[in-house]
Amino acid sequence: MLASNINVTVRLSAPMLLKLVGGFASVGLPGNMTLFHFGNCFALAYFPYFITYKCSGLSEYNAFWRCVQAGATYLFVQLCKMLFLATFFPTWEGGAGVYDFVGEFMKATVDLADLLGLHLVMSRNAGKGEYKIMVAAMGWATAELVMSRCIPLWVGARGIEFDWKYIQMSFDSNISLVHYIAMAAVVWMFTRYDLPKSFRLPVTVLLGLCVYKAFLMELFVHVFLLGSWTALLVKAVLTGSISLCSLFLFVTLVHSN
Amino acid sequence: MFEEASEVFDNMFKSSFPLTFIVFIPAVLILVSPLPAEAAHEFTVYRMQQYDLQGQPYGTRNAILNTEARTVEAEVLSRRCVIMRLVDFSYERYQKALRQSAGAVVIILPKNMSTMPQDIVQFMELEPEMLATETIVPVYFALEDDELLSIYTQTLTSSSSQGSSSAAEVLIHTATANGFQMVTSGAQSKAVSDWAITSLEGRLAGTGGEDLPTIVLVAHYDSFGVAPWLSYGADSNGSGVSMLLELARLFSRLYTYKRTHAGYNLLFFVSGGGKFNYQGTKRWLEDNLDHTDSSLLQDNVAFVLCLDTLGNGDSLHLHVSKPPKEGTAQYALLKELETVASNQYPEVKFSMVHKKINLADDTLAWEHERFGIRRLPAFTLSHLNSHREVQRSSIMDVRPHVDLRKLSRNTKLIAESLARVIYNLTEKGAPGDLQIFTEQMMQEEQLSSVVDWLTAQPRAAQLVDKDSSVVSTLEYHLGRYLKDVRRHYVKADKRDPEFVFYDQLKQTMNAYRVKPAIFDLLLAFCIAAYLGVIYLSIQKVVERLYAKSP
Repeated sequence: MLASNINVTVRLSAPMLLKLVGGFASVGLPGNMTLFHFGNCFALAYFPYFITYKCSGLSEYNAFWRCVQAGATYLFVQLCKMLFLATFFPTWEGGAGVYDFVGEFMKATVDLADLLGLHLVMSRNAGKGEYKIMVAAMGWATAELVMSRCIPLWVGARGIEFDWKYIQMSFDSNISLVHYIAMAAVVWMFTRYDLPKSFRLPVTVLLGLCVYKAFLMELFVHVFLLGSWTALLVKAVLTGSISLCSLFLFVTLVHSN
Repeated sequence: MFEEASEVFDNMFKSSFPLTFIVFIPAVLILVSPLPAEAAHEFTVYRMQQYDLQGQPYGTRNAILNTEARTVEAEVLSRRCVIMRLVDFSYERYQKALRQSAGAVVIILPKNMSTMPQDIVQFMELEPEMLATETIVPVYFALEDDELLSIYTQTLTSSSSQGSSSAAEVLIHTATANGFQMVTSGAQSKAVSDWAITSLEGRLAGTGGEDLPTIVLVAHYDSFGVAPWLSYGADSNGSGVSMLLELARLFSRLYTYKRTHAGYNLLFFVSGGGKFNYQGTKRWLEDNLDHTDSSLLQDNVAFVLCLDTLGNGDSLHLHVSKPPKEGTAQYALLKELETVASNQYPEVKFSMVHKKINLADDTLAWEHERFGIRRLPAFTLSHLNSHREVQRSSIMDVRPHVDLRKLSRNTKLIAESLARVIYNLTEKGAPGDLQIFTEQMMQEEQLSSVVDWLTAQPRAAQLVDKDSSVVSTLEYHLGRYLKDVRRHYVKADKRDPEFVFYDQLKQTMNAYRVKPAIFDLLLAFCIAAYLGVIYLSIQKVVERLYAKSP
C-alpha cells in the first residue's frame, strides 16, 4: 500500500523534475550551455553501451535483469577490493616525486578479484558463450559507468568551468566497455575445459595484460610524461590490441568446435 | 529496453519499500544539489570607493558581477567585464568602457608599483576624476599575479581577433581558445548603518595656575584612495600621525621635570574621518564648544596646529585662512618657524600660504578651516602647496613615498619652533640656532617604526571601526605619554546623514574558463558523427560474427 503510494509520488514528481531540468536549460546562456555540455558528455559515454546492448541481440533474451545482477556483483567485488586494500596496504609515505612501483604493482594484483567476479557472473548464467560474455561485460561496464563516471560528470560538466577532462572521461568509458568485453571473453576462454593446449599461453598472457593494464598505463604516463590526450590514445591502442587478439582467439575457438 | 527497465523498477517498488528510498532519495538530492565552484583562478579584488558625503553620492554603486571578460580592444563591450592593466590605463579607455555600458571594469595593478613612475603619476591624477562622478558599473582593482596575467593575455588575444578573421579561423578559434567568466562571490552593496568614526584626544597640563593658554596639535589618521582597501596613506597622513606621536613623546618628557614644565596646556587630537571633510574634528568641536560647560577649547586657545602630509619634500607651507596679527601666539609661531628654518635648516623653504575659507565648496580644504569656522586661530603645516594635490588621496601613496630623514628633519623643526614659543625663548634672547632637542632625544627608529606600522594596513575611514587595532594601538601609544586619553565617536545623523559608507569593499572574484556557445554545438555534431561511426562499425562486426558462426 505504502509502496504503491511511493510509486505514485515518484511518477508524479517526474514531470516536476523535467520542469526543473527545463528551467536550468532556460536560465541564461552559460547555464544552458553547460547542461548541454553535460548532455554531450553523457551521450558520448552512454550511447555506445546502448548501441552495443541493442546490436548484440541481448534485448531478445530479456537480459536486463541479468545485467543488473552483474552490476550488483561488480559493486560487491569493488567493495571487497577496497576493504582489502585499506586493511593490508598502508599509505605510501615516500617522497612526492618517487613512484612506488612495487606498491602499485601489488595493488594492481588485487584487481585479480575482477576476474573472479566476472567468472562468478558468467558461471551463474546459462546459455551460449557469447551470451554469457556479453551479459557479464555489459552489466559490469554499465555498473562502472554509473558508479565512477556519472557522478563526476553530473557534478563537474554542469558547472560553469569548462575542462577537457569530461570529454576524456566519456571516451575512457567507451574504452572501458571494449576492455571489459575483452576481459570477459578471455576469462571465459580460460575456464573452458576444452581449451587446446596451444591457446593456454596466449590466453594467460592476455589475462595478465587485462589485469595489469591500468598499472601499465600509469607506468607509461609517469615514465614518458604523457599529456592527457596522448595517454588516452595510448590506452585506446592498448585496449584495441588486447581486444583484437582476444576476438581472434575467441572466433578461432568457437569455429573450431 | 525501456519496457524492461520499467518492469524492473516496478518490481523494485512492489517488493521492498526501503530499496526505493535508498535509490530515489539520493537521486533526487543529487539532482537538486547546488553546483560546486571550481574556478580556473580565484583572486581578491578591491572595489572602488562608494560613499555619500553631505547627500552627494560618489564612486561606484554596484558590487556584483557575473559577466564574460573582454579587454578594451574588443568591439562589443556592453554587459562585459572589461579588464585593463595599469600600463594600458587611460581615461579615454575608461570612458569608452563606460559609454558602451560595460558590465564591470577590472583594473590590474602591478605588483611592484614603483617601477613605472610615469604610469603612477598619470594614475594619481585620474583617481579623483574617476571618483568625481557616480558610476553604476562596479569597478574593481586586483593585484597582478602570474595566473591573472595569463588570463589577461588570453582574453587580449581573443578580444583583438574578433573582427578580423575568416570562417575557418573562427571555427578553430572556438575550439581552442578559452573565454573567461568573471563572477564575484558577495552580495549587493548596501549602506552600513551606525558606523562610528573614532578620534582620540590626550593632554599635557601646563604648570602655573588656572586659565593657561592651550596649544592644540591635530592630525587625522585615516587615508583615502580610489579603493579603500588599497589606501595606505603613507605620506598623507601617516607622516602627520607619526610626527604627532613623536611630539607627544618629546613634550611629555619635558613636562615631567619641574624645571622644564611650561605654562601652556598641550592638547593632542588624532582625528578620524579626516578625508571625508574632517568629520571627526567637526563633531569634536561641536561637543566641546556647544555641549560642554568647560573645556580647554572654550577658554584660552593660543593656536591650533594641524599636521598634514609632512613626510617628504624640501618645502614647508603654513596654510592659514587669515594672516596672523602681530602680538598673537599664532604670529609668534609663524616667526619661530621662519627663524628655525632659516637658521638651522637652510635647505627648507618655508612660506605662508593664505587661502580664505570658501563655504560654498563641497568640501573644506585643510583641517584648520574647521577650527577657523569656530573662530579658533588655526593653521595647517604641509609640504604640499595646495589642498588639491593628488598625492593627498591616492592609493599610490605607499611607504616609499615617505622619506624618513625628511620626516625626522621636519619633526625636529616643528619641535624646536614649538619649544621656542612655549618657553618664550626669542624674547629671552636665545639665538636662532640654539638647539633645544639634542640628537639623543630625537629617536628616528621610533618614528620609522610608527610609519612602518601605520602603512602596513589600509586605514580608510570605512575600514577602521571602534574595535580596530589601529585605534587601540594609537590609544595605547598616546596613553604612554599623555594624560586623560579619551575616545570620541562620530555617528552620522539619522535623518540627514553627513556621511554614508557602503560595504562589500573587498570581494573574491572567480574566473571560470568558458567556451562559446558554438563550441557546444560543434562538439555535439562531432559526437553525433562519432556515434554514427560506432553504430555502423558495431553492426558490421556483429553481422560478420553471426555470419561466420554456424
